[in-house]
Amino acid sequence: MSDSNADTQKGSSDFEKRIFQRKGFTFFGLGLQDVIRYFFGGNASLAIIILILICFFLAKEAAMFFPDHHRGLKAYRSAGQEFVDYIGQEIEQHTRIYSSANIAYFAEVNRTSLEEDAILRAQRAVLANVESLTARSWKELERGLDNLEDAQEDLDDLKESEGALDASALSKLTKDIAQLEAKIVTVRAKLKKEVTVVLGSEKAWDLGGGGIGISSGARAKVLDAVLFEAFPDSKEDHPFIVETKAASRAKKGLEAEKLAGFKDTLKALQSAVRPMKDLHSDLKKIALESRKEINSLETAPARRDAWLAGAESTDDPAEKARMLARAGEVVIAAPDLSALNAPIYSSVDEHRTLLATLQAEVERLHKDLPDGAETESGRKNLKKADHYYGEFVTTVRENRDKIQGWRHDKSLGLMASVGAFLMGKDWVTNSSWHDFYGLLPLFTGSFLISIIALVVAVPFAVSAAVYVNQLANRREQTFIKPAIEFIGAIPSVVLGFFGILVFGETLRMVSQLEYLQWIPGFPMAERLTILNAGLLLAFMAVPTIFTLTEDALNNVPRALAENSLAMGATKLQTVFRVIVPTAISGIIAAVLLGFGRIIGETMVVLLVAGNKIKIPDFTEGLGVIAQPAHTMTGIIAQELGEVDNGSLHWRALFMVGVILFVISLGVNFTAQQILKKLQKI
Amino acid sequence: MKKTFSLLALVSLLAGANAEDKLVIKGSDTLGAKMVPQLAEAYKASGNEVSFEIAAEGSSTAFTNLLAGTGDIGMSSRDIKGSEVEEFTAKGMEIKDWVAAYDMIGVIVNEKSGVEELTTEQIQGIFTGDITDWSEVGGDAGPISVYTRNTSSGTYKSFQEMAMDKRDYGSDTQKMAGNEQIAEEVAKNENGIGYVGLAYSDKDGIKAVAVDGVELKPENAKDYAIARSLHYYTIKGQLSDAATKFLVWATTDKKALEVVERVGFIPAGE
Repeated sequence: MSDSNADTQKGSSDFEKRIFQRKGFTFFGLGLQDVIRYFFGGNASLAIIILILICFFLAKEAAMFFPDHHRGLKAYRSAGQEFVDYIGQEIEQHTRIYSSANIAYFAEVNRTSLEEDAILRAQRAVLANVESLTARSWKELERGLDNLEDAQEDLDDLKESEGALDASALSKLTKDIAQLEAKIVTVRAKLKKEVTVVLGSEKAWDLGGGGIGISSGARAKVLDAVLFEAFPDSKEDHPFIVETKAASRAKKGLEAEKLAGFKDTLKALQSAVRPMKDLHSDLKKIALESRKEINSLETAPARRDAWLAGAESTDDPAEKARMLARAGEVVIAAPDLSALNAPIYSSVDEHRTLLATLQAEVERLHKDLPDGAETESGRKNLKKADHYYGEFVTTVRENRDKIQGWRHDKSLGLMASVGAFLMGKDWVTNSSWHDFYGLLPLFTGSFLISIIALVVAVPFAVSAAVYVNQLANRREQTFIKPAIEFIGAIPSVVLGFFGILVFGETLRMVSQLEYLQWIPGFPMAERLTILNAGLLLAFMAVPTIFTLTEDALNNVPRALAENSLAMGATKLQTVFRVIVPTAISGIIAAVLLGFGRIIGETMVVLLVAGNKIKIPDFTEGLGVIAQPAHTMTGIIAQELGEVDNGSLHWRALFMVGVILFVISLGVNFTAQQILKKLQKI
Repeated sequence: MKKTFSLLALVSLLAGANAEDKLVIKGSDTLGAKMVPQLAEAYKASGNEVSFEIAAEGSSTAFTNLLAGTGDIGMSSRDIKGSEVEEFTAKGMEIKDWVAAYDMIGVIVNEKSGVEELTTEQIQGIFTGDITDWSEVGGDAGPISVYTRNTSSGTYKSFQEMAMDKRDYGSDTQKMAGNEQIAEEVAKNENGIGYVGLAYSDKDGIKAVAVDGVELKPENAKDYAIARSLHYYTIKGQLSDAATKFLVWATTDKKALEVVERVGFIPAGE
């Protein structure tokens, strides 16, 4: 033992001697020491150079975004699309009033037939459940039927084929068909048995969330009907279902008769907007044509140059002439925007009269809507219609000046482009009308998900770190620490799949539980939501926050803790009064770095957040977490793959990347500053 | 200079004759997920010595790859756009269009939903966000969850053109990565609605609604409102013999048409 130790020492000292001696190996006049030093230094500076290159590349691509975006906005205005969208807004507000009132109407009409509808829904649900529970046998039956059909076709082909009938093939086919038929009979019998068994189980009677229970008498009949429908002898529905459907229809009809006045109001409301809609769609076509001309002007020089270059390179005179002719055909002159916009200006008066009529009609009809309703949903939606009427009036008022003062050549500053990007509420791409690049929906999505993740992860991670660092015994430490740090090794795409297939479904099922309804946002309709993504990201952030918090706790000088204990404080008092407060800036830095980890995470949010590009509806309060959202990282991953290099859309995605980069940089910088403060203690 | 080029071309031709020909096919997910790979297998099985490289990442990539010269054949589930044609002309290239098959886009709802039929107007209302509750279209009350493909998909665009009068999707729609995911989400959400290609419409847990009273069945292709043609695109004069042979086979041969039918499309010949 001691011998081998001595050997290694001798060996290493030999090695050291060789490296650190002044003379000996030289390379371009440099000693070995220098070579190693430059190698390490070179590696470090290479990393920095690459970082600078990345920054430069991002900045270069993104910097081009605003001028391009500005040009797009200008075209949007010059083509009159902006004007058309003002009218579109008014129509949209009107549609909201109508839609809410319409929902209220149907809630009222359907209220007496709820029982019948529940039975019909139960029958459909049970049938679907049974089919999915016995899916394998259904597939077998289907395959058997397919095979039989194929065999019969073969037989027909054989019979029709010219020449002598192949007797052996014929007999073989007939035998096959008989066998297949027999097999189908057995499979069907087996299936019938399976279905009967499954029907007895609770799983088949899982009617899903929000379903109204049905009476036991109806249940028996539904069971019968399901069996009947699963193995249809004819195209007719089961008599019970036919009967229920008829009853439901009759009750609805009766109710609709009572509410005929309501329906008339709705009809009048719908037809009131029609002239406006016609005007809108006419102007839309005109504006779209103008936009096309403006866009084609932009690409015109490039197209002409391409034809000219093509003509230059070819030797064939005919081809050359053709290409030159094509180059000559490219129109480079700017379209006359005033002429293009003339129909829009002349429609201002028409719009004003139409709007006045529409407003008067809506005001009158809005008063005609019933004040109260029998059902909860009816009342809620009538209230909504009321609310939307208010919004309609505001929109009309606000748009009046915009429409009167609208000019296609009104100047548009570059700041307008910045504002439209940072504060824009729409992200609409690949549109046939106009692409909008507004960051807000993506930003709010990213931000909400991160907040949820932090709220969940911080208590877990910090308390786990405090426990492991201060309170746990050695055995617990050696187990807990690696276990938590292992979470960081799970690939995020694996977590994403888990989120879609397992976690999302479980979360939704849990959200249906009766005694959890006090939680905002429950019951959830969607599987892919802000909450789902937030919880998964919390899981991913735990190791980061845990490890850094533990480091911060380790950095607290031992003397402090020992002093505290010596003064007679208990272990817990020492932890909460001395150690944690001393390390607090380190813990805050840990949380910030965890936030940086979360906001940059892509795969999980892309798969799990639901990808709805809309600012979440905050009127639902905390219930907002049950909605789907899209994120800044998710949109880059989803759209960057298919956009043309150098297009506006491409640059917009880069700009989103820059925003993410700036956020991460800011978070990291703040964390560093806080950590520096800690070191001063 | 020219001589070197032609010499190179000759060498590569000779090499090509000896080695296996390789066809690079890129573009639409609708074509590239099932149909083209199966066609390729069938083509090889019938004794043609070619190898295939197939990448299905959305119709737009068909044109970017053709432009960059990184693909022999582009697959697209929509017609080529005017701006894309311009890009080709700008490079002095001309595009050739082969109709690969016809596809019907099925509007799917959850199997448990009571809605069996929708009009095109209702579909437009649902996907643009004008209609937000199932009770407005004859179902049981419940907020509608709309699932669509993401913006790069050809189906996204062709559905917008065929069923939505080119209006923009409502901001409440959720963008899914592919047909499979839409079917999956609609199967799990009783209030869900989405659209998928004909081949995906018989997945478990979903059902296709009749559109304007026409059911989603291959034999109804002519009357069904939301049907479209699928395309192969190639560049005129730059197509290898092997690629031409494959395309002709894929669009006319009886075996190929059988494959097309099996994966749920309607052969172009009919």
